[in-house]
Amino acid sequence: MNYKITYRLLGIAMMLLAVGELRAQNSVTAASEQVNRKMVKLFGIGGFKGLPSYGTGLLVSAKGHILTVNNHILNTPGIVVHLYDGRRYQAKVLIREPELDVALLKIDEDVDFLPHFVFDKAAEKAMAETGDWVLAFSNQFKIAQGDEPMSVQRGAILTVADLKGRRGIFDAPYSGDVYFLDNIVCNPGAAGGAITTRKGELLGIIGRELKDNRIDTWINYAVPIQFKIEVQREDKKTGKSIMEKESVITFVHKALLGNYQETVKIRREDKGGYHGIILVVNAVSSTPPYVEEIVSGSPAAIAGLRPDDLILYVEGFSVPTIKIWRETLKQYEPGREISVQLQRGNKLENVKLKLANPPKTVN
Amino acid sequence: MKILISSLASLVLFASLGFAQSPAAFKSESDRVAVIEKVKPSVVAIFARGGQGGGTGVLISDDGYALTNFHVVQPTGPTMQCGLADGVLYEGVLVGWDKVGDVALIKLLPKKDGDKFPFAVMGDSGKVREGDWSIAMGNPFLLATDFTPTVTFGLVSGVNRYQPPAGLFLEYTDCIQIDTSINPGNSGGPLFNLKGEVIGINGRGSFDKRARINSGVGYAISINQIKNFMGHLHAGLDADHASLGALIRTDVENFGLGKTRITSILVESDAYRRGLDQEDEIFSFAGRQVTSDNHYKNVVGLYPRDWRVPLEYRRGDDRKEILVRLMGVQRKELDEPDPKKQPKGPPVKGPQGPAAKYYEAKAGFANYYFNRQEKARLMTAFKKQGDFAGKGGTWSFEGRVTLLKARTDSPFTAEIKDEKIGKSEKPLVTLKIGAFPDMVDPNNANVNELRKPNGSGGFLPALYVWRHLLLEGDKGFTSECHHGGMEPIYMPPTDNSTVKNWLAQRVDAEVLNARTGIYLTKFFFAKSDQKLIGMELRLQEANEDPCEVYFSDYRVVDGRQLPHRMQVYYKDVHYGTFTVGSYKVAGN
Repeated sequence: MNYKITYRLLGIAMMLLAVGELRAQNSVTAASEQVNRKMVKLFGIGGFKGLPSYGTGLLVSAKGHILTVNNHILNTPGIVVHLYDGRRYQAKVLIREPELDVALLKIDEDVDFLPHFVFDKAAEKAMAETGDWVLAFSNQFKIAQGDEPMSVQRGAILTVADLKGRRGIFDAPYSGDVYFLDNIVCNPGAAGGAITTRKGELLGIIGRELKDNRIDTWINYAVPIQFKIEVQREDKKTGKSIMEKESVITFVHKALLGNYQETVKIRREDKGGYHGIILVVNAVSSTPPYVEEIVSGSPAAIAGLRPDDLILYVEGFSVPTIKIWRETLKQYEPGREISVQLQRGNKLENVKLKLANPPKTVN
Repeated sequence: MKILISSLASLVLFASLGFAQSPAAFKSESDRVAVIEKVKPSVVAIFARGGQGGGTGVLISDDGYALTNFHVVQPTGPTMQCGLADGVLYEGVLVGWDKVGDVALIKLLPKKDGDKFPFAVMGDSGKVREGDWSIAMGNPFLLATDFTPTVTFGLVSGVNRYQPPAGLFLEYTDCIQIDTSINPGNSGGPLFNLKGEVIGINGRGSFDKRARINSGVGYAISINQIKNFMGHLHAGLDADHASLGALIRTDVENFGLGKTRITSILVESDAYRRGLDQEDEIFSFAGRQVTSDNHYKNVVGLYPRDWRVPLEYRRGDDRKEILVRLMGVQRKELDEPDPKKQPKGPPVKGPQGPAAKYYEAKAGFANYYFNRQEKARLMTAFKKQGDFAGKGGTWSFEGRVTLLKARTDSPFTAEIKDEKIGKSEKPLVTLKIGAFPDMVDPNNANVNELRKPNGSGGFLPALYVWRHLLLEGDKGFTSECHHGGMEPIYMPPTDNSTVKNWLAQRVDAEVLNARTGIYLTKFFFAKSDQKLIGMELRLQEANEDPCEVYFSDYRVVDGRQLPHRMQVYYKDVHYGTFTVGSYKVAGN
């Protein structure tokens, strides 16, 4: 009797082991094929200023609704769509969501029965976590055309964190939690692509190309489909601006029903603290930040900065020009103490500069 | 009992843990480590002599042949230094290259004659699928001074990818896209599957505005494409890629797949002579469907120049299949060299060091030394089928011939001899079919006579050149004779039936390109035993349809193998099949 149970359990154990092994050894071909059928290649305007004329989108309805990134390609009058099987259509923009940085398109013809990602309540599950293993699908570099499949890449979630765009360093079109990824997925044309589990379940939308100018490094991120961020829209009754929360899922869900109320891009003010440094005239584009004058009693005066100092680094980041200095300083709020390295004569000096609230101006 | 329960519990615990993480993952990891250990010794760190530049390669045979990129050996010149993972440095020499496909074959010299090298097995890249795992090995940034390769692991992001050439060269057709990290210095190195088989040669990436380092998008040349060129590479050729000689356009309708149409076609192309014309719709090439520009470029780019492949096209409601001889890509350049179009790079160095004695420069070849070696090997093996030295007298044979177009079946006699006129000799070939004789002096006749018998395209002179090869070997073709690498030949059905599937008739053959007098001949030898299985004879012009003769039904006659069936084709038409009853081969 006991032996029987033992053998039975042994059998189950072996089976579980075998399944585990299969999972570890399997390629992701099956998931890849399944996801690819739900994705489209987009072609439109671009090709200038380093902006690609192509992109990636996800089918979100059987009738040809497409979710993609809210970028310049959408300004094309007839966006060309290539389906996984090589069929080609034109598509129109139905609605844009500037805060989530996504938009919903619709194929301009009557189509039906298209394989698609489902955006219903079931999609509202827990977000992926740091260390999770993911797949990325996109038509980066316009490698595929017609019926050729998307590129698939694998990666891991490095961390889930707030993407804070910083002026002069990088301007993020989205502000909220993102998946930061270890593989290079944010290539030209990849934005709007899919991040999925290794079974092909949708986790996020691949973000745009972003470069951190401080460390000359490209950032790879995706917007989690269920993460809610604040959006600003007009209250229908009062006409006043109100703040509400939406995620990619709620956007798609409502937009497919035709009742997503448009939002406006929230203006985010610069928060840079006051320092009291007056630099030389910014005569050429690469004028270095030489101090012309220090306002007496200002934080800079307290820190001991002097005219003719040449500012080299702020918090360890190089500030070779006045423009970069200004943009760098915008991210340090009043009350923050920043380290400034400067050249005075032939010597390098380090000073601590405590930023203050801007002095009240008298009209 | 207690022990049983506790062991049971631990078993269940172990099993559930296993499912969540460890044993399976551990197993696949240890398998991977074992595969890497196994293939590591085959990876070659390639350096230019004197240190400037280099890349990676992979050994594919125990006698030291290794694959790499053309763009790796172009700057090193014909000799290079090659480090293996055990830390030993070998001398290497260029063997052959394919500039358009960015592939080169090199040979490492053993320290001692007969020493064997470790090598990797070539896999089947046709089985690679998007989503498969892959392992790249190489020497990124040339950082391993002890030659130990760097290993990177990742996914196959796509297959059958097309990446356009940089100018004329380095066109990646039907290549494998990977997210496996490859960087400068990885060039020429192997891409392995998880069995440790070489499925590609890593060579380039997509960068756009990024620095020229890994961007998550790298490309490997598929090993199946390289296999098509392997015969050419071993023969030391400067192998050219194929083109159809036609421009195409893909029309796309909303519903259904694209239609690939011919927009213009070169009149000197074989495709045009085979009947292909403007507005025809190509729908398959060498057995693969063509529905987009990329498909078309992918599939044409797989083949070397001069190969014959089946092509299916549609004109109106007619669907036709033809066997097309492919043109080259570098043709124009060979005709009118344009220094501006040459690939950029440092000037090619001459051969240096101990490997220099294995290098011989010649136009049209990457290294003529290896062509002579291959030709000698081929001719030695060919001679084993029958040594006809001293048999330069009158040859005659007889039997029956079926003329397909005339629908007749008649007896024939043939005679090939050198007639003595005073002190000089005059060759003479006679063929009598039924009651109608044809006779020709192959060295002294006008083209119309040389085409005899009518409809054969030149079977009479072909018989003369065939005997010339048997008697004299390659030495008999003094004006030109080189090993032409490997080409497919499509053996006609022996029962003279119509071919339904050309691909099924394909036999791989070693090629000898030979010229004597006005005759430009291509001999085909079976790759397996070097029997002569076919020949194509052209009169003067390279751009004309040849007389094709297919030899089969070999039987021993006086200790020598002779074909007892000769099938003659000209311009897509099966002229006739000669079934030989008996031979008489006389000595001088």
